Amino acid sequence: MRRSEEVARLLPGPLRAVVLTVLLLVVLGPLAYMFLASVSSDLAVARGALWPDGFHIDNYARIWSTTNLGRGLVNSVLIAGAVAVVSAFVALLSAYVLVRYAFRGRVAVLRGLLALQSIPGTLLLLPVFVLFASAATALGVTIIGTRWAVLITYLTFALPFSTWVMVTYLRELPPELDEAARVDGASPWRVLTRVIAPLSWPGLVVSGVFAFLLGWNDVLFASVLTNPDSRTAAVELQIFGASQEGGALPVYGQLMAAALVCAVPVVALYLVFQRYLVAGLTTGGVR
Amino acid sequence: MFLPGGVLTLLVIVVPLAVALYISLLDLDQYSIREWVGADFIAFDNYVEAVRDSHLVHAIGISLGYSALVSLACVPVGLAAAVATQDRFRGRGLVRSILLVPYVLPAFVVGSTWRIIFQPDGIANRVLGTDGLWLNGPRSFWALVLVQLWAGWPLVYLLAAAGLQSLDATVHEAAALDGAGWWAKLRYVVLPQLRGPVSLALVISFLHNVNSFTLPFVLFGVPSPVDVEVLPVLTYVESFQNFEFGLSVAMAVVSLVLVAIPMAVYLRAVRLDTGRERGSR
Amino acid sequence: MHRRTFAALVSALLLGSALTACGSDDDGGATGDNTGVTLTMLMGVNNIYPEQQRQWFTEISGKFQQETGATVRFETFASANDELTKIQTSVVAGQGPDVYALGTTFTPTAYATGAFVELQKDDWDKVGGRDRFLPATLGISGPDEQHEVGIPFASRPFVMAYNKDLLTAAGIDKPADSWDGLRDQAKQLTKDSTYGLAIGYADGFDPWKFIWAMTTQAGTPVVKDGKAALDGPNTKLAYQSYLGWLATDKVVDPAAVGWKNAQAIAAFGEGKAAFLPMVSASSKVTLDKSAVAGKYAYAVMPTIPPGATALPAGGVAATSILSGDNVVVAKYSKHKDLSLALVKLLTSEESQTSYYKTFGELPTNQAAAKALGGDPALAAIVDSAGKSVNTPFTGAWGQVQLALTNVVVQSIPDLSAGKVDDGKLTGLLGQAQSTAQGALDKAK
Repeated sequence: MRRSEEVARLLPGPLRAVVLTVLLLVVLGPLAYMFLASVSSDLAVARGALWPDGFHIDNYARIWSTTNLGRGLVNSVLIAGAVAVVSAFVALLSAYVLVRYAFRGRVAVLRGLLALQSIPGTLLLLPVFVLFASAATALGVTIIGTRWAVLITYLTFALPFSTWVMVTYLRELPPELDEAARVDGASPWRVLTRVIAPLSWPGLVVSGVFAFLLGWNDVLFASVLTNPDSRTAAVELQIFGASQEGGALPVYGQLMAAALVCAVPVVALYLVFQRYLVAGLTTGGVR
Repeated sequence: MFLPGGVLTLLVIVVPLAVALYISLLDLDQYSIREWVGADFIAFDNYVEAVRDSHLVHAIGISLGYSALVSLACVPVGLAAAVATQDRFRGRGLVRSILLVPYVLPAFVVGSTWRIIFQPDGIANRVLGTDGLWLNGPRSFWALVLVQLWAGWPLVYLLAAAGLQSLDATVHEAAALDGAGWWAKLRYVVLPQLRGPVSLALVISFLHNVNSFTLPFVLFGVPSPVDVEVLPVLTYVESFQNFEFGLSVAMAVVSLVLVAIPMAVYLRAVRLDTGRERGSR
Repeated sequence: MHRRTFAALVSALLLGSALTACGSDDDGGATGDNTGVTLTMLMGVNNIYPEQQRQWFTEISGKFQQETGATVRFETFASANDELTKIQTSVVAGQGPDVYALGTTFTPTAYATGAFVELQKDDWDKVGGRDRFLPATLGISGPDEQHEVGIPFASRPFVMAYNKDLLTAAGIDKPADSWDGLRDQAKQLTKDSTYGLAIGYADGFDPWKFIWAMTTQAGTPVVKDGKAALDGPNTKLAYQSYLGWLATDKVVDPAAVGWKNAQAIAAFGEGKAAFLPMVSASSKVTLDKSAVAGKYAYAVMPTIPPGATALPAGGVAATSILSGDNVVVAKYSKHKDLSLALVKLLTSEESQTSYYKTFGELPTNQAAAKALGGDPALAAIVDSAGKSVNTPFTGAWGQVQLALTNVVVQSIPDLSAGKVDDGKLTGLLGQAQSTAQGALDKAK
C-alpha cells in the first residue's frame, strides 16, 4: 500500500503545499469577505471597509423576517430534491436505451444531447411561459405558479447532462452482465432495476447532484414561473437583492448573510457526496 | 423506456424552441404581444435588423472572446488542483470540498459579492493599491473574466480529478521503473491521459460562459457598459426592457447557430459524441 | 405537511374561483355575493417597511372582505425590471393578477399593450369619481382624457435634501433655484473632505431624470409629438452640466462614478455632502437614522435650466417627474367590477391617509392631501407634487429612457478619468437619438 502510493505520487510535497495554499486563498478570500460583510454594519460595507466595525450577528436572525427565506428554502429543497431524484432515474432509462439498443439516429440523439446544452435560457423563457399558460387553459388547471411548473422545467433542462453522464457510465458496464441476467429469464425491466442500477450508483449520484444544483441555483425561470407561495430560495434572494437597489441604503449585512445561508445546503451536499462525485465521473469506475 | 425522457424533452425544450423560431419571424413587440399569434409576419426582417442595426455582432465578439479566454484559463488552474489533490494527505476531503465551493455558489451570490468587492472604494482597489473603475470602462472586461474564472475553474478540476482516478496503477510503476522524475511523469504520462475529460470540460465551460446571464447582469447591470455587453444580457434587454420580442429571439437564434457550428466541429474532432477515444479500444 | 395542505388549499381556491367565474364577465358585482372569490393584486415591494407592508396586505384584504365578501391576494415585484417582465408574461398568457400597481413611468408601456381596461365614465364612478383625485396626479393616466387606464394611487415626487448646518456655515440661506446657481453654491461648499453634491452616477434610474428635468425646463423636452430631441444643443448642455459636476466642477466625490442612489444617500447621511438631489420622501427614514438627523431639510430642485438665469420662454418649471404609482385593471380579469371596487377602497380618503401614515407616500386623493397640508417637514415635497410634470405618454418611453441612461453609462469611464469628452458625447448622443427615434417611429 505504502509503496504503490509513493510510486503513484504526482507532485513533490512542498510544491503540492504551495499550489494548494494559493488555491485555497483564492477560493476562501472572497468567501471570508462575504462572512465578514455579513456581520458588519451596512454603512461599513458601503464604504468598502474590510473589517467589521462591530459584530452584528443579529443579521442572521433578521433575514428570516425581512424575507421569506424560510419558505423559499423549503420550496428549493422540495423542488431541487425532486428534480435530482427523478432526473437521475429518467436519465438512467434513456441512457440504457441509448447504450444497449442500436437504432437508426442513435448518434444523432447523442449529438443532440450535447447540442441541447447550448441553448440559452433567455431564448426559451417566454415560449415556455406561453406553453404552460396555454396548457393550463386547455386542461383547466393552474400550472404557472405551482411547484410543478418549475419542477417540469428543471427536470427537462437537467436531462441532457444527466443522460450524458449516465451514457458515459453505462458504456463501461460489460453487456455480459445483461446477457447473464437475461439468460436467467429476467425481463429488460428487471435487468435494469436489479442489475444495472445498483452498479451505476456513482453515475446516478453525479446526475442527481448536478440536477440538484440546477434546480437550486436557477433564477430566470423560477422568477417567472413561481408565485409567492412556491418561490425558491434563489428567487427570494434575488428579489431581496433587487429590492434593495432603490431609495434607501441596502442592508448589505443581511444580503450577505442570506446569500451564505442559501449557499450552505448545496455546499453541504457536495461535502457529503464529493467522494461519489469523483468516482462517478470516472469512466471505468467499476473496475 | 425512452418515453419519459423523450416526451419531457419534446414538451419543454423542442416545442418552445419551435415557438421561439416562429416568433423570430414575427413583428412582436409591446403593441402586438397581447394577440401574439396574430402579429405581423415579417419573415427575416428581424434577422436583418439584428445583424445590421443592433449591437449583436459586437456582443457576439465579446461573448465568444471572454468565454474562450475563461475556458482556456480554467484548464491550468483546474489541472493544478486535480494533480495536487490526487495524492492522499490529511484533510484531503475537506480541501476537495472547499475547492468546489465557487462552482456551487449561486451566480447571483457570486455577482453580488464581487460587485461589492469591485466598488471604486471597495476592497479590490484597496488590496491591489489601484484606483479607478472595475465595473465600467476597459477594465470591466477583465473583471468579468476574473469573476467567471474564479467561479468556473472547479468544473475542470472535477472532471480532471475523475480522470486521474481512473489511471492505471501499472502506469505509475512503469514510470518509476524508468526513473522518471515527477515533472516528466506528469508531462508525458499523466496529462495526456486527461485529454478526454479536459476536452469535455472545455466544451461545457465554454457553452456555460457564452450563455451565462445572471452573473454579468448582477455584476454590471443594465444598460451594460460597452466593454462587457455580452449576448445573453443584450437579448434580455431587447426582450424584457425594450419589448422587442421578435428581434431578441432572432438575435438569440443567430448566436445559437454561431455557437453550435464550431461546437459540432470540435465534438467531431475529439470524438466526444461517439464516445470512442482516439487510439484506445 | 401543513405547508403542503395550505398550498393545496390556495390552489384549490384559485381553481375554484377560476371555474366559477369561467365564461361570465359579471361576478356578484361589487355588492353581491362574492365569497370564495379572490382577487390578485401586484404591487412593488416596500423594502423600507417590509413588515408593515405585509400587515397592510392583511388589513386591506380583511376590509375588502367585509365590504364585498371577496378577499385580496397580494403579489410583489422587487424592481422595475421584474415589473416589466411580469406585465409581459401575464399579457402574453392572458392570465395573471387582476389589478396592478405600476410605477407612473411605466403606465404608457402598459397602455401600449392594450391589455388594460380603459376607464369610461361609469368606471371612474365605480372608483369614486374622477374628481376625487388631485388633478396633477392624473397627468400620466393616459394619452388623453378619453383613453385613461391609470388610477392614481400614491404620489412620490422627487426633491432635494440639503444639510442645513453646512449651508449656514457657508453663509448660504437656501438652495439656489437654478442649476448653475446650485453648482456655484456647491463649489462654495466643497472643502476639506466634504463635497457640494452627492450624485449616484451608476444608478440605473436617476441620471435620466436630471436630463429630462433640465431639457423640459429649457423648453426642448427630449420627446415631443413623437420626435426625439436627444441630439439637440440643450440636451448636450444638460449632459455636460450633469457630468461636469464631477469631471470639471469637482463638486462631487470621485467615488460617485460607482455609486447607486443608495450610496449617494449614505454619503449625505454621513455629512459628507451638502446637497442630495433626486430623492423622494422614502429617504426620510434612512436620513433620520443617520448622522445628519435633524440637520437636514427638503427643498424643491432647481427649475431654471443650465445656461440661464431665468426660465426661458417655452420652458416648463418642472420640479420633478410625475412620480408615484398608478393602478390599472387587466382586461383579462374575470372580476372587473370587483377590481374597480378594490381600487375604490384603496383610493378612499381613509385608506390614503393611513397609507401615508404607514409608508410616507403622499396621497392622490384630494381630501386626504388637503388634510395633510400642515406638516412642515413635507412642505417641499407637497409643493413638488403640485409642480410635477409627466414624462411623455408613449409606448416607446421605456426605450427612450434606456437610451438616455446609456449615454451616462458609456461616459463613466471618461468621467472617472476626470473629463467629459466632447466628441465622444456628441457621438453617444447621436446613437441615442437614432435608437430613441427608431423606437418612437415604431409606436402605434
